[in-house]
Amino acid sequence: MIEPFLEVRNARKNFGSTTVLDGVTLGVTRGEFVSLLGPSGCGKTTLLRIIAGLTGAEVGDVRLDQQDISRLPPHKRDVGVVFQNYALFPHLSVLENIAFGLRGRVSRDEATRIASRFLDLVHMRDFADRSVRALSGGQQQRVAVARALAVAPKLLLLDEPFSALDRKLRETMQIELKRLLRELGTTAIFVTHDQDEALVMSDRIAVMNQGRIEQLDTPEALYHGPATSFALQFVGLSTRIYGKVIGNQDGNVTLIETSHGVTRAHAHFVQGSQVIIGIRPERISLGARDGHNSITPQLMDIVFQGARVQLHFASTEDEPIILESSARLPGGLVPGQAVPISWAPADTLVFPRDTSA
Amino acid sequence: MKSHRSLVGWLAAPAVFYLTVVYALPLTWLLTRSMMGPEGFSLQLFKEFFADPFSWRVIGNTLRIAGLVTIVCLLIGYPVAFALARARGVVQVILLAAIILPLSIGVVVKAFAWQIVLRRDGVVSQFLVGIGAWSEPQRLLFTETGLVVGAANVFLPFMILPIYSVVKLIDPRLMEAGATLGVSPVSRFFRILFPLTLPGIVSGIAFVFSLAVSMFVIPSLLIGDRFQTLATLTGRSFLLMRNEALGSVTATVLLVLAVTIVLTSSLLARRVGRFT
Repeated sequence: MIEPFLEVRNARKNFGSTTVLDGVTLGVTRGEFVSLLGPSGCGKTTLLRIIAGLTGAEVGDVRLDQQDISRLPPHKRDVGVVFQNYALFPHLSVLENIAFGLRGRVSRDEATRIASRFLDLVHMRDFADRSVRALSGGQQQRVAVARALAVAPKLLLLDEPFSALDRKLRETMQIELKRLLRELGTTAIFVTHDQDEALVMSDRIAVMNQGRIEQLDTPEALYHGPATSFALQFVGLSTRIYGKVIGNQDGNVTLIETSHGVTRAHAHFVQGSQVIIGIRPERISLGARDGHNSITPQLMDIVFQGARVQLHFASTEDEPIILESSARLPGGLVPGQAVPISWAPADTLVFPRDTSA
Repeated sequence: MKSHRSLVGWLAAPAVFYLTVVYALPLTWLLTRSMMGPEGFSLQLFKEFFADPFSWRVIGNTLRIAGLVTIVCLLIGYPVAFALARARGVVQVILLAAIILPLSIGVVVKAFAWQIVLRRDGVVSQFLVGIGAWSEPQRLLFTETGLVVGAANVFLPFMILPIYSVVKLIDPRLMEAGATLGVSPVSRFFRILFPLTLPGIVSGIAFVFSLAVSMFVIPSLLIGDRFQTLATLTGRSFLLMRNEALGSVTATVLLVLAVTIVLTSSLLARRVGRFT
């Protein structure tokens, strides 16, 4: 097997008695864009800092481009970082910020030439001699990216670089950054808690929870086949129903007893297991259908979102059952009505339920 | 906008009034006095002063001692300011107390304490003989070294606190950003921390230099009358020799020197740290 371009093996880190990273292993291919996605406190930023050498791991190795960099100080790792607050040097101009890492590596003229090129790449040419303090958030972010890329690092790490930007600007910057990294062929790891951002930008997403990677997969695979109930819940919308396995049918269909009746799913579980059922909202359709799981819950809300519409139904669980459709709804739907809905056994995702938690 | 401005005027009024009466008026009198000859305005007193080699020795003494005290304070105070800014919780409280509390002890008390420490049989002498640096006990009291050590001790907080107030505001991630750009720790210090702390360094230097250039009690107690600075000479002129003419001249020279040096250093620093 070919060694991955970046490889983190069994990284562990504790802060006091809190385990922040609980044995994380991660491989990234050259040129790939991988997101670390998870809620705050899941260890994603710590993992990033360990790769950059800004935080030491207690156990574990980091290998980059066939070299063990675990014991190298950050300035010898060839790993660039775009910080969440950008960390631009306030005493330097925009151009000087971008040229900062080039000074001492190449001649002064060459440094200015390279920095100017990156200034162009991030569309900031007109700002070369400005103070970075006079820039807006989006402009600072561009300078931070240009500064990190100007030294041509083997690997670029980005720590929630869009979190301070408003939604519209964020979407523009995401596309811009993705294109820039593809043009330069830069391998990148991107930390975010925003699932939409991760889905839009990544070649693969590592879903992190409590110091572990729960799943590392392409956005499509992650969305359609979450490996754990956490991954289901964290990526995309879903309806969750608790149940218990009561039997099997035809060898590959599991019967699950829920408070909405018996549900069928394509899964294998030992009889009697406590499980969580997950269904994506666009997989649920209006009307009962043969061979599908059909229930008739009460309609609570109709949420019109322009291109799509969501129907929220009352559930016996805490969360509503959510149906999402891009088609026009049939007339006459009124909250309070009982409406038949259904979904296929193949779209019924089943996860073991950790009853101890 | 107008009412805002007049408010600023009123807020400053007490200080302006106070400083005019107790500072500007006496100072003007002093400056005027130094430029008075028998027949009105004259620079004769300055001519006489600068013609005397003794005056130049005094000026040299003043600048040398103040400069050395400032350098010693900077070298000791700079790292302490970082320790203070990066410390957390109880450690920071203790450090701050250790720096600020000594200010509550009078200069005279401190100077007398240093007299004891710097004596021939004092702690410093005994220690240096003990570790073999000195072959026999020596007196540090009434030497320039003793004066610099003692004065640096008194003025150290005035170097630490302004630098600390600047360091506190520096984002620690700037140094990390420098590291991830492949810049070595030493270069990071000179290219990031040093320029960003320059405003604090300049304030600290201005404070300590102004205090050290004009100190009177400390040299009187730690080095004595054989060694004269502009400040001690001014004091002697007025208090002992009753020579107002000489006193006002030395006071004016001292004032001009101190103001020039402090202003020049801050202008230089402003040029270096253009965006700060």
